[in-house]
Amino acid sequence: MKTFNHKYSVLIALMTLFSITSQAQIAKAEIQATGLTCSMCSNAINKQLKSLAEVENVEIDLNTNTFTVILKENNTLKPSIFKENVEKAGFFIGSLILTVKPETIAEKPYVLVDGKANTDKTIQVQVLDKGYVTDKTFKKLSKSYKNSTTYNTNSEADFHVKIVN
Amino acid sequence: MKQFLIVISFFYFQKSMGQELFLMTDPASNVPANSLGVNVLQSLFKEEFKSGNNYHLMPELTYGLNRNLMFRASAFVSNRNNSLVTEGGSFMTKYRFYSEDDLNSHFRMAAFGRYSFNNADIHQEQLEIMGHNTGFETGIVATKLIKKLAISSTVSFEKVFDNKPNYAFPDNQGDNATNYTLSFGQLIYPKKYTSLKQTNINLMLEFVGQTINENGKSYIDVVPVVQFIFNSQARLDLAYRKELMSSMVRSAPDGVYLNLYYTFFNLKK
Repeated sequence: MKTFNHKYSVLIALMTLFSITSQAQIAKAEIQATGLTCSMCSNAINKQLKSLAEVENVEIDLNTNTFTVILKENNTLKPSIFKENVEKAGFFIGSLILTVKPETIAEKPYVLVDGKANTDKTIQVQVLDKGYVTDKTFKKLSKSYKNSTTYNTNSEADFHVKIVN
Repeated sequence: MKQFLIVISFFYFQKSMGQELFLMTDPASNVPANSLGVNVLQSLFKEEFKSGNNYHLMPELTYGLNRNLMFRASAFVSNRNNSLVTEGGSFMTKYRFYSEDDLNSHFRMAAFGRYSFNNADIHQEQLEIMGHNTGFETGIVATKLIKKLAISSTVSFEKVFDNKPNYAFPDNQGDNATNYTLSFGQLIYPKKYTSLKQTNINLMLEFVGQTINENGKSYIDVVPVVQFIFNSQARLDLAYRKELMSSMVRSAPDGVYLNLYYTFFNLKK
């Protein structure tokens, strides 16, 4: 009986641990990059993203400059890692859509500004902050969210998201 | 002039991605951070005042320190004295200070500076710190991508000194000049990308000019370039340089270029 309890508590501990880490987890990131002119430039972004230990695979659509980054389980990456690496390659993010669990965006550093999660399965959210959308889009969004206390501060510590799917 | 307009229109109305990996004009964009570009540029130019050809070999290393700053070191080897001799070298740095990127366009600007040294004899009025003169050059480059077409232009100031130890710069020649380039680039193959392994073919048309500031002597050359990109990592450029007009003494204005370029991404993790 005693051994059974012991095993059981280990299992519970593991499950708790798993659920904590999985909450902050990004499963997939779809990046559309701007300013590209060639496949060599796409490859620069590709290699930069693949150099991250948390990245399982990168799928590229060269015609739309879209990079679908599949991430390893239990990673703790924040959206800023994608911005940093695309910019290191010499380009910018035009749009970033993350596949996450609803509970991920329910807490810091995420701020949900648009949409409501109606499922407990994975959802797709777009990051709306400066540097994660094109300059033109950011100007529009700044007006739309002028009443938000945090959006226009351009703090790099929080990520404003909109549910897109 | 008519031919020029036809060529420009051809580039303008082509429907594919603009390209900016120019041979003559370095674009405002830099190499990726933490990457190393290795290239060997070879040129063979026909001598105007003696028989034979002037062969130059220029190995270069280009390193991206961060997204805005890159450095390049070059060596100059030539056969001017009948056997291959290393005559000099060059250091260059370029800083991208402006970027306005959108989904199908960008406008970028960068400032650059270069210092070169060379010990070869001085045999022409044209000032060329890439392989002929000791001196420096500093300037600004702007690159615009308008949907399908990349256009890049450079304006720079170049000043030369004596080619030490043996060759003083002649007193009766202007030792500083304004240089300008204008380049157009176009991807012609593939029409639609399928993979990173696909070979790309780019066509470029570049114009290179110089005016000696003291006396106004000038030249303008045209350089058509065919560029192949293999595996999205290696580059082969074939180009022909032809003088369009010149009012200065140039020892070998017309010739061909062969450039091989390879990028090593993510040097250190």
